[in-house]
Amino acid sequence: MAMEIVYRVKRFDGEKSYYQEYSIPYEKDRTILWGLIKIRDEIDPTLSFRSACRSAICGSCAIRVNSNALLACKTSLDKQLALYQTNILTLEPLANFPVIRDLVVDWENKFKHMTEVKPWLIGEKDCPGGTGYYRQSPDEFLEISNPTDCILCGCCVSECTQHTNLRDEFYEPFIFTKSWRFTADSRDNSPKAHLLPVLNEGGLWKCVRCQQCITKCPKGVRPADHISRLRCSSMNYGFTDNLGTRHAQAFAEYIQKTGRLNEVTLPLKTEGIFRTLKRIPFALRLLRKGKLRPLYFPSPIQGIEGIRKIYNRLRKEEKK
Amino acid sequence: MKYAFFPGCTLEGAAAENLLAIKKVTEILGIELEEIPGWSCCGATHLQDTNELLGITINARNISLAEKIGLPILTVCNTCTLMLKTAKQRLDNDDQLKTTVNKALSEANLEYHGTSGITHLLWVLLKDYGLANLKEKIVRPLKNLKTACYYGCHIIRPPETLGFEDPHNPRSLELIVEALGAKVVDYPARLDCCGFHALFPAEKAVLKMSGTHCLVAKNTGADCLVTPCPLCQMQLDMYQPDREKYLCTETKIPVLHLPQLVGLALGASPKELGLNHHIVDTKALLNKIS
Amino acid sequence: MLTYDVVIVGGGGAGMRAALEAARDKSLQVAVFSKTYPTRSHTGAAQGGINGAFAFKDPTDSIEKHFKDTVKGSDFLGDQNAIDFFVNECPECILELERMGVPFSRDEFGRIAQRPFGGASSPRTCYSADKTGHVILHTLYEQCLKHGVKFYNEWFLLELVVDKGRFQGLIVQNMHDGCIHPVNTKSVVIATGGFGRIYWNRTTNALNMTGDGTAACFNAGIPLKDPEFVQFHPTGLAGTGILMSEASRGEGGYLINKNGERFMSRYAPEKMELGPRDLVSRAIETEIREGRGVGGNGNFYVLLDLRHLGKKKILERLPQIRELAIDFENLDPIEHPIPIRPSCHYMMGGIHVSDHTTCSTPVPGIHAAGECACVSIHGANRLGGNSLADVIVFGKAAGKGACLSAKELSSGAEPILLKRTAYWEEKFRTMREKGHGLKVAEVRDRLAATMWNNVGIFRTEKEMEKALSEVEELLQEYNSCYIGDSSTKYNSAFIQYVETGNLLNLAKAVALAAIARKESRGCHARDDYPTRDDANFLKHSTVTKIGDEYKLSYIPVTITKYQPEERRY
Repeated sequence: MAMEIVYRVKRFDGEKSYYQEYSIPYEKDRTILWGLIKIRDEIDPTLSFRSACRSAICGSCAIRVNSNALLACKTSLDKQLALYQTNILTLEPLANFPVIRDLVVDWENKFKHMTEVKPWLIGEKDCPGGTGYYRQSPDEFLEISNPTDCILCGCCVSECTQHTNLRDEFYEPFIFTKSWRFTADSRDNSPKAHLLPVLNEGGLWKCVRCQQCITKCPKGVRPADHISRLRCSSMNYGFTDNLGTRHAQAFAEYIQKTGRLNEVTLPLKTEGIFRTLKRIPFALRLLRKGKLRPLYFPSPIQGIEGIRKIYNRLRKEEKK
Repeated sequence: MKYAFFPGCTLEGAAAENLLAIKKVTEILGIELEEIPGWSCCGATHLQDTNELLGITINARNISLAEKIGLPILTVCNTCTLMLKTAKQRLDNDDQLKTTVNKALSEANLEYHGTSGITHLLWVLLKDYGLANLKEKIVRPLKNLKTACYYGCHIIRPPETLGFEDPHNPRSLELIVEALGAKVVDYPARLDCCGFHALFPAEKAVLKMSGTHCLVAKNTGADCLVTPCPLCQMQLDMYQPDREKYLCTETKIPVLHLPQLVGLALGASPKELGLNHHIVDTKALLNKIS
Repeated sequence: MLTYDVVIVGGGGAGMRAALEAARDKSLQVAVFSKTYPTRSHTGAAQGGINGAFAFKDPTDSIEKHFKDTVKGSDFLGDQNAIDFFVNECPECILELERMGVPFSRDEFGRIAQRPFGGASSPRTCYSADKTGHVILHTLYEQCLKHGVKFYNEWFLLELVVDKGRFQGLIVQNMHDGCIHPVNTKSVVIATGGFGRIYWNRTTNALNMTGDGTAACFNAGIPLKDPEFVQFHPTGLAGTGILMSEASRGEGGYLINKNGERFMSRYAPEKMELGPRDLVSRAIETEIREGRGVGGNGNFYVLLDLRHLGKKKILERLPQIRELAIDFENLDPIEHPIPIRPSCHYMMGGIHVSDHTTCSTPVPGIHAAGECACVSIHGANRLGGNSLADVIVFGKAAGKGACLSAKELSSGAEPILLKRTAYWEEKFRTMREKGHGLKVAEVRDRLAATMWNNVGIFRTEKEMEKALSEVEELLQEYNSCYIGDSSTKYNSAFIQYVETGNLLNLAKAVALAAIARKESRGCHARDDYPTRDDANFLKHSTVTKIGDEYKLSYIPVTITKYQPEERRY
């Protein structure tokens, strides 16, 4: 018997949204997009979705399948069916975008956000007068190679934990990638101009490190890594007066001093005395349950001298 | 079955009960753990933010210590797992980096070779120990216990570093919990993030989010949440009263470390597993299984 | 009424390059209308690179050599004055891209890296791994954001309004709400890409490469030049037609038949796999025809073997190729050869550009650039790496040209524009209400089948006549199509209906001009006329649409310094 597969599609006509099921006969070695085109061509011409290059470079066809964002054109139907052990897949528009119709979402605001990080080269450092060209070493090119792979498909936007929580206080992951792409470009003369917007408006330190962006990116772009590098850059530029930096630096110090974390003094180091006072009820709660050892100061681990030497060496090299 | 044990910092602090449970469970199962002498904090993404190379080198040091005792590393914290595995992945695929890191390690008279693997207790139970063997050791099947499985990010994502199972639909935790005799509830937040690593800079958002995860679990009718990550456990359990300020609703649900749940099925007493150290009381849950 | 001085239709490489050029003149109001978000445009799918004779990689390279290669590649049908302009502009235009921030791969001296490419006598193709079009497209978009270029994204071109030989403006549809608008503008740049979708799935082209701008010009009475010259890219994935960049051969990949033989030795003994595309495609099809293809069940292909390049080179230079082969053929080129077969790739022909310095068409105010245009620099066969260069060089020229036009011409007549708007509104309404008829997809598929089977790589009079009469039938049947979607919001069924109409009109011109060209030249390979006939056909075909009539005529080729000779590789 020929197997039927079912696409359960979240539809939206501008007013109401509902789920509609379409059955299509199973075919081997097909993509998710194949099924959508088949439905549109043969069953329901009103089904709206985007697609163009069908080779994973234009970024048009990103949708959610069973709550995971992906590119419909490059995703194997067989693999999805096997992954979820089912013949029914739920297709929805990307999350965190306004929906225009069915699976079609509106990008206009994202481009506005993108503009805030000034995604263009600034300055004429190495090619005076705006003629000739910039020299860039193969290694310097490699620095910006991963971020320039971004195709603006929106998968990371859809799946980002913190952007879902804090729409207006935390940039879409690809915008961090754009920022890093120019901050790290050896040709750029004003890296801070790309970095400051993500530090101030973008919520650079609010990333929860959930790795959704890296995991869901269909092009292997690594926004969470770029966030990490932007954080490092921001500290190097001296933007250290914030909770995130103090927290990170506390870890670095603990490891250098004793090799391990001290949970008791960590809030103090991160937040300062005033805000830490707020945490007294929390601390008492932990004390009551025996979860906090207020007088426990970990003694340095065996081999701490080695760690300190490693620190010295790498810090020295970093300065170089 | 013997591993170089990497406990991670929280097991010396606020998640000390997990250490009790791990020791008990491995003792019952006959899994030998040798704590890595002189292990250091993995950096927990924060050290890595200050200096990527330092982050890799510190963990190369941890791995090289395990290599010296000739054992694969067993971790019990998701973030430790990801930090160690990231370092290993980078080093094993980049000879130039390996040379640089080894130069730095030579300051501590150590060298990274790449001979020790890194695995997490969850994976050990499933793959190395095996479900069939685990089932044989069960003396108290958790028959009536409805459990919501919560993976935590750094044991599934990113998959090219962790590589154990597909992060879109992992099964390992459910398989273990089912083997223990408990009933797995259909829990929509099972792959979501607890927000631990951004607690300080984004406290309200993180508490609201982790509170919602608990609420969703409660609404499925689950008796408890279980997680293989002590950081997730802490985030979901310790802040229960704080987050209720924001959510204006009760979010109480016991959150168990995976070794605690395993330990219960293996017949260990709640006290031996440190179940008295939770912020959300675990008594009701214990009544259900006794 | 939306009113501008310069409007650009198409948000790809040529369109955005034109927009950037036009936007330099702050006294002019400029806007871009694009049926996709600009970064979705098909320029992004160009992989291998962009040609500029910098002589970085090979000090003996020169502008002159680029000129000669292009003329020879075109099988002498390219206009040499235009090619001269083009090859001279290429280097500076590429440097402009570099200064805008395009991340080019680099050589050890920090200069732009260059690689060998088909039909080129020196390695002059500048690249960014195998994603050159992608990085150029995104950089151009970022530059447009920087300069505040006004975009109308997902607005679809319905008609170019020309009245008594005078350009009036255009009619466009906002796809989001379905509203149809007239746009009053003094000049326009059409930069809407090719129409490879006349072959539907046997193409490397995106699903939306339907030649809307070309068809709009054609309908407005502007001739279509050399439409019979359709480039088939040698290395499309056998299963899907998806492009495997020429860079894969440029970096040293082999083409292998079922006997494990590098068969190009028989077709291009000197250049081997780096012969020009027309020659390599014919070689592959000949191997398959003569029983040396791999595969079976009517599904034959040859193999593109990259294994000897080694993992490091593949990961560094051809990462996208590898990713595509893994995703779409389920194999890793580091370990396995890739099944490939020629796929329709590029239209050398297009909107007749009568002045290459401004990209103006015979109708003042209407300019065209990029694949939709026929300048002609590609003649009967385009060289790899010359299309991104074309897009940038002529996009810029068209932007400048449109500014000049805007300063000379006055606005269109609003009553005429409103009348045409009413026509389209009525059409949209009728189509939304029509409840039954023929499915658009069916017409589209039949068109593709007949074009692929009868106007493909090897052509004969008989087959092409068959295609022509089928296309004519389909044009009739098209009138009874229905779209089946009554919504005004994002009505993609209506868009596809118009697109299919465009494809039909253009396909008919392709067949017509192909039948009449009784010779083999470049990619136009006829079994019944296997040799080039300079005495009778060293000339451009033009097809002009007058009402429903198609009129075929010819115009001379410009030859300046390089006389036609036998083309050997």
